Amino acid sequence: MKEIVIISGKGGTGKTSFCAALAQHLQDDLVVADCDVDAADLHLIFEPHNSLATDFYSGVLAHIDPLRCIDCGICAEKCRFDAISNASGQYTVDAVDCEGCGYCYHLCPENAISLKEQMVGQYMSSETRFECTLVHARLRVGADNSGKLVAKVKAIAKDTAKDQGKSYLIVDGSPGIGCPVIASLSGADYVILVTEASQSGVSDLRRIWELVKMFQIPGALIINKADINPTVTKQLHSFAKKEKILLLPEISYSDDFPKAISMGQSILETNPARWQPVISEIWKAIKERI
Amino acid sequence: MKIAFTATGEGWDALIDPRFGRTDYILIYDEEKDELVSIDNREIMDVAHGAGPKTAQKIHELDPQVLITGNGPGGNAASILKQMQLKIYIKASGMSVRDAYRSFKNNKLILGG
Repeated sequence: MKEIVIISGKGGTGKTSFCAALAQHLQDDLVVADCDVDAADLHLIFEPHNSLATDFYSGVLAHIDPLRCIDCGICAEKCRFDAISNASGQYTVDAVDCEGCGYCYHLCPENAISLKEQMVGQYMSSETRFECTLVHARLRVGADNSGKLVAKVKAIAKDTAKDQGKSYLIVDGSPGIGCPVIASLSGADYVILVTEASQSGVSDLRRIWELVKMFQIPGALIINKADINPTVTKQLHSFAKKEKILLLPEISYSDDFPKAISMGQSILETNPARWQPVISEIWKAIKERI
Repeated sequence: MKIAFTATGEGWDALIDPRFGRTDYILIYDEEKDELVSIDNREIMDVAHGAGPKTAQKIHELDPQVLITGNGPGGNAASILKQMQLKIYIKASGMSVRDAYRSFKNNKLILGG
């Protein structure tokens, strides 16, 4: 079983669109993991059902026991996030402002403060309207993605792929270069980078490639919207050449992408005549290298 | 010489875990004592952020001279490991710990970092 991670560094480059199209192209020989948990959107296309969901706990929140609190106010005074006040006549923690650092817990002279694990969302394994299983997660409002959650989603997806005897695990990676992305990349066999012909497209690609290089994972590049700025596209070409990144077919700007997303489809469904050959060519190039 | 492995289980037949920070186990082989010790690292599953530096700190405390792993450590972990006299070999994913050790002895592993 080979693990292929699709990442972009920058948002809006078409990463998820290509991920969905590849998943559909591979039909039933894969499992898909949506690790872009902050802005998960694969489910809009895959229409997951018959989901098996598990609550996910991460991070802690301070809680003050009013029976033990002696109103000394040390916690409110020292909290760096101004999350504790006695506006109600009693010291309480604001759940939104509390970062769960635990400073107040250590300072409280009466041990009236406890740190409670928070249920921040759910991860789930679902059947989809395509033939593959989708492993994904839903976070509650204000909760953030973490390496912990991505590692969990990936571990389930990996086990599922092995149990079902599938050849591929396709991971829709997290944005940026932080902990969730490291967890997305970790253990991968191949990386598909999706960028666009814009200045931020170039600089975010450079940043993400530094990280990929650190993990010594070979990669290929899709330049989307290549025609909107030919100068930048040229820069991307020379960067790929210098860094030995495989260049996949260039994609011109197309309305099919937003159209597909708004209709809950993959680009292969919105305009099969246009995209079937492109996705086939992309997959052929990658398959030869993994 | 002490050699550390990132592994998905215990013992010589365990597979090398490609992940550094979130590796399930750290195995240490002490050549002088001819002894393989397994350290359960699965508590790392509960760490939301900074798994790499945490595992790097563990490696630092175990003080091996060689680390054999898969993808290799990320930036923050690497900057900790740089403080040690540690040779890091990568791309051993898929091998058993036994095969990885043999490959290392035969100079067949790739030096990372």
